[in-house]
Amino acid sequence: MTIISAPPSAARVVALGLLIGLAAQPAMAHEAWLLTPAEIAALAVEPMPALFKSRFLLGLAALVGLTATIVAILVEDRLRPIEDRIAPRLSGAAQTVAPFVLRLGLAAMLALAGTGGLPRHGTATWAEPTLLVPDMQLSLLPGWAWLAPLQIALALLLGLGVMTRATAAAIIALSAIGLAIFGAPFLAYAPHLIAPAIVLILTGPGVASVDGRFAVGDLPPIPGHLRQPAYRTAQILFGAGFVYLAVAYKLTQPTLLIAILEHGDFPSLGVPYASVALVMTGVEIICGALLVLGRLVRPVSLTIIGAISFLAITLGETPLFHANLYGTMLIFALAGTILPAARSPAVPGWRTV
Amino acid sequence: MRRAITSILIPAIAMTGLLGSLVAAAPAYNAAEAAPRSVFLQLPDTLPEPRVDMQARRLPSGGWRITLDASDFRFTEICVTDAEAMPVGHAHIVAGGVKLAAAYQPVVDIAPLPVGTHRVSVVLRGQDHRALLGRDGLITAEVEITVPAGGDAF
Repeated sequence: MTIISAPPSAARVVALGLLIGLAAQPAMAHEAWLLTPAEIAALAVEPMPALFKSRFLLGLAALVGLTATIVAILVEDRLRPIEDRIAPRLSGAAQTVAPFVLRLGLAAMLALAGTGGLPRHGTATWAEPTLLVPDMQLSLLPGWAWLAPLQIALALLLGLGVMTRATAAAIIALSAIGLAIFGAPFLAYAPHLIAPAIVLILTGPGVASVDGRFAVGDLPPIPGHLRQPAYRTAQILFGAGFVYLAVAYKLTQPTLLIAILEHGDFPSLGVPYASVALVMTGVEIICGALLVLGRLVRPVSLTIIGAISFLAITLGETPLFHANLYGTMLIFALAGTILPAARSPAVPGWRTV
Repeated sequence: MRRAITSILIPAIAMTGLLGSLVAAAPAYNAAEAAPRSVFLQLPDTLPEPRVDMQARRLPSGGWRITLDASDFRFTEICVTDAEAMPVGHAHIVAGGVKLAAAYQPVVDIAPLPVGTHRVSVVLRGQDHRALLGRDGLITAEVEITVPAGGDAF
């Protein structure tokens, strides 16, 4: 009601803020896959927006972002008692339902990568198996085709919840292999694959898993004193991944982001796309940095979930591109800064092993 | 006091350092006006500028044989994940905003086109599929194909 009764300009600002906030988190490094050949031809001659070349304007934007961040941190301290009261109810689900979501998301990524079921633009479906993400084609690297069936097998294990921790460890190994064989291009993906795997090792399979009913030789749980450092490591990796993507793909390639916004006919409410792109970049950097610092973990996670969902709708892309993010963000949103100790199951069919 | 330092001051300093360094570095980088590097592969000025021309000939099957005449460019079937800025790679054949084929050699056949006039273009690509950029932008050529209803093509 407040928005409706406010002057049109205020409503417009609020609406735009909401839209940008929702869209501020990135697709991953796959923006270019969305553009048509004609849009790519236009992008080749697109000039760099003055906003991204001006130290004064960027400094002003950074100052606004910094102020907002400090205010948010102050608010977090004030609201901590409320968060502490509701946390036990939320954090329980962080080890039951959320790991199940994460497991299925990672399984979908592995299965689609192993079969070539989610190809990059211009590649036939089911034709090119990849390593974990659509543009890391295994056919480019002779001798590594065996990773395709391995990924399918790991997907099956994750889907069923068999040897979940060992399978998650295998995803970390696959990410390391990706960095070794694909080099720097894989940096855009590795943090957002390793961090979910770490989280899954910590939480275990969650509900609806074979591991929850039968002991089938999975890795032992992480010792209690190492759980929190490992959880923080996952947060740091996740946040650093967002900062890297924001800098590498938005701050230093803004015309690409603007082309994507135009392609998706992003509703900017009359605000120039360059300004929208700058705000998106800033929000992404700040959200990533806050995760690295372990601050405002729940609000940041909810923002990211909303953003990647909104982007998938706006840009017409499949949510499976972000299948590795949803479950992880859900666990971060439920558990917050501190992952609770493993506990006995409250849900039938689940137990901590 | 100590709590205030760890709770507010340290995050504030960290954020200031991060944002400050980005504000210092980004304008200098962006001043080069480079096209997005994740989409384009800029060829160095020291190399001869590649050129491409194209011709289309109708096949008895109704498809089209595209012949590319590229200079200072070498076709290869080898693709890599992160290519050197060299005039080596393949070409994408595009019509109506849709990629019809990738040409890893100078001659490639494409499927029959529907009745009407089509502007078919070719764009040279690097070994990692990024579009090659020369001094004048994309290295491209275009041909117009008319497919009459029930008749010969022109």
